[in-house]
Amino acid sequence: MHTAGNKKVKPQSFSSIGKPAPKIEGRQKVCGTALYTADNLIPGTIWGKVLRSPYAHARIVRVDAARVKSRPGVMAVITAADIPDVLTGRRLRDMPMLARDRARFIGEKVAVVAAEDRNIAEEAAQLIEVEYEPLPAVFDPLVAVSEGAPELHEKLKDYQGLPKLASSINNVYSHDEWRIGDVERGFRESEQIFEDTFTTQHVHQSYLEPHSSVLSIDKNSGSVHVWASNKAPYQTKQSLAHAIGVPAEKIVIHVSAIGGDFGGKGALMDLPLCYFLAQRTGRPVRMIMTYTEELMAGNPRHAAVIVVKTGVKKDGTIMARQVRAFWNGGAYGAMKPIPSVNLPGAVKAAGSYRIPNVKIDSYAVYTNSVPCGHFRSPGMVQLVFAGESQMDMIAKSLQIDPLEIRIRNALQDGDPTPGENKHGLIDVKCREVLESAGEVSRWKTFKKAPHVGRGVALSYRNVGIGDANARLSLGPDGIVSLLITYADTGTGAHTILCQMIAEVLGIPFSRVKLTVGTTDSFRSESGTGASRVTFVLGQAVLMAVDQLKLLLRDRAAKMLGVSADGIAIKNGKAVVAGRSARSLSLAQIAAAAEGERLEVESYYEATETPPEGVFTACVAEVYVDTETGQVHLRKLNTVHDVATILNPVGHQGQIDSGIMQGVGYALTEEMVMAEGQVTTLSLGDYKIPNIKDISALQTTLVRSDVGAAPFQSKEIGESAISQVAPAIANAVYDAVGVRIKDLPITAEKVFRALQDRGARGS
Amino acid sequence: MAKLKLQVNGEEIDVEAKETALLLDVLREGLGLTGTKRGCETSHCGACTVLLDGMAVHSCVVLAARCEGKELTTVEGLGEAGELNALQRQFLKHGALQCGYCTPGMLMAATALLRRTPRPSLDEIKRGLDGNLCRCTGYTGIFDAIQACALGDK
Repeated sequence: MHTAGNKKVKPQSFSSIGKPAPKIEGRQKVCGTALYTADNLIPGTIWGKVLRSPYAHARIVRVDAARVKSRPGVMAVITAADIPDVLTGRRLRDMPMLARDRARFIGEKVAVVAAEDRNIAEEAAQLIEVEYEPLPAVFDPLVAVSEGAPELHEKLKDYQGLPKLASSINNVYSHDEWRIGDVERGFRESEQIFEDTFTTQHVHQSYLEPHSSVLSIDKNSGSVHVWASNKAPYQTKQSLAHAIGVPAEKIVIHVSAIGGDFGGKGALMDLPLCYFLAQRTGRPVRMIMTYTEELMAGNPRHAAVIVVKTGVKKDGTIMARQVRAFWNGGAYGAMKPIPSVNLPGAVKAAGSYRIPNVKIDSYAVYTNSVPCGHFRSPGMVQLVFAGESQMDMIAKSLQIDPLEIRIRNALQDGDPTPGENKHGLIDVKCREVLESAGEVSRWKTFKKAPHVGRGVALSYRNVGIGDANARLSLGPDGIVSLLITYADTGTGAHTILCQMIAEVLGIPFSRVKLTVGTTDSFRSESGTGASRVTFVLGQAVLMAVDQLKLLLRDRAAKMLGVSADGIAIKNGKAVVAGRSARSLSLAQIAAAAEGERLEVESYYEATETPPEGVFTACVAEVYVDTETGQVHLRKLNTVHDVATILNPVGHQGQIDSGIMQGVGYALTEEMVMAEGQVTTLSLGDYKIPNIKDISALQTTLVRSDVGAAPFQSKEIGESAISQVAPAIANAVYDAVGVRIKDLPITAEKVFRALQDRGARGS
Repeated sequence: MAKLKLQVNGEEIDVEAKETALLLDVLREGLGLTGTKRGCETSHCGACTVLLDGMAVHSCVVLAARCEGKELTTVEGLGEAGELNALQRQFLKHGALQCGYCTPGMLMAATALLRRTPRPSLDEIKRGLDGNLCRCTGYTGIFDAIQACALGDK
């Protein structure tokens, strides 16, 4: 349950901003009429189902689908031999649409069948004969980078989209690096050095809507119409065009309601296969992954091996930190959306601390497991677990309070960070969130009971960069209509945009209407993700409102016979300055336009990460059952640094959401792997938190004054998750004295660690 | 194929379906009632929850043929005369939904709970909804909405 803490936020003087406006698409969602991809029942649609490789690494000797083609009800069967030999991907194009001569993970698609009936398609696909010749496989990224390990992509250098920094290390397809100062000198100047290896597991985004694709080819125009659970429509249009060999302008993506994303819904998935089946059958095709398929072949969070080396003075001052992250990228890099084909969180691997000497190396590594993608705060979640666990190990060794050592090293105003903030961070609230966490959790006066412990952790991030379009018009009825092509994946972003427009024009929220267009609406834009939406799309919308105001002032000036300079747009009216009696309503201006469209369009692009960080501190309290090793989370205090809150219901929703996903990551969620085979293949085996797992959550907000997003607002979508797992790990150590460096913190691991410690007699 | 007579949201409906057809498929594909969601299809997530004679069931594991003669309610059957009911309104007010995919199932499970237990305790809410997963909200808003509804908030 959530209880509000002492919110140190000034009351606002806005009319729409800061109000708990209900979700604009909420009514459809509680009535069951919101249209998700699979709800789009186009008459005549047939099903596609795939056959997947049972081998983690194998040569495909022969595929025989002849017998299946003649089965009753089967309308088309496609193998790699039937489609162009093209590799696909969001950035790095390294993944075949169907495995051709080689399968590189268990679950890789080998053939696809279309049928009227889903069961017929599924059954037929399973009957396709494939002869495999197993090859040596590799699953551990540290083994994959070593000499002599099987090479998974011999033609890597020829792949489109390969990042420039691609390494010559075996199976590494992306190597990002950042440096500050001289880390070796930093270690020489240190009085104590800590080096630890942490490992994290594969976890699935667990959106409840599995990946769904619906595709229809217009017989007359040849246009390809796409509905997909996909939040990156323009990138998808380009990737699909390349994959199927159809010009991008012939492809129309209809942005649909998305049943959860968390970073996982941006790849092509089954769309190319839908196209080839539609082309052969002349019918619209849908492919909906089962949850078993999701868990074996979705695009989960990267498992990782992270080595952190930190040099400190005896007073706890950090002199140097070196981080090496090895991401288990799986068989293909195709699912990663950013040009570096790495994980964006890696840039913050040094943590929320001012450190004069930093060296970060982030390696994306091929293995014979499921290809990984992005999941809420990608990279950071793993790295904050590693870095913040080690901070407590350092504090313990130096006998400094864990909260105190963090405060001593906290980032401050003007500090540069590796790879970002060349000119320094501004309005830094790092120290403040730590102090507030100490206060609200009564850190200093906490009375320790047996097997009860507390842990603190800290993280920071920021809004993401990218671009966005907005088209705004005033209709004859005085309704202001916004057209965009960004999907709202559930965060409430669309609602906030309507609040912004209502605020600037001084009209009721209900007078703003939002429409989501197709990819024919604009040239291109980044799409939802990276905590960019409220920032870049919000700025695009604010630009559009300003342009609309200019247009309306101009019109009103002509109608009233005054100069446009003397007109202001306030409270939904054009008012002549100093003579408030002379005014025109928006509807009056619109009516006088006589059919001419009062419409403006804007485009906004951010190319550099803004200097405002968002700092989050978390204090976890656990009880550990020493007979079983079970960890019971009793309480979580989180402290968030916020500026203007645009919609308090949505804001708190993002906090609650991130924290619960963090709790799952820390304690229960794991895609268990056995030689590349995911063995947790249902939501019964793969355990995300359910309503019984909810614990006492307390949110505290610390006020800061500036934010890069509209109305001085800050990021919240991804900042609540990362610090949860290390806070819990640190609390477990505080409770029973065992340090778990491998997520998740299961009862088995804690029990074993307690036994080992007992055996060692310490 | 079998001819089934189903009672859905107060209406008698004739539908043709395979004897082995699942209720989820008949509702969605046969009747076009797509408010009931296809989630995990293994009775773990609850996105497909509907009411069968007032009891919350996962329609992905119920045979449609077993529902003849029983009363079915789906999310489309909530509310009256185009107006939202109190539970739907409280879900909106308390941020009990984000992506909305679990929402129809959550609403149906909560409806069954509130019929059975008009003033549920926290533990009763937890038990009543433990067959329904939500990945977006962290469940806090869902708790708040159900409690508000139980306390008579409209």
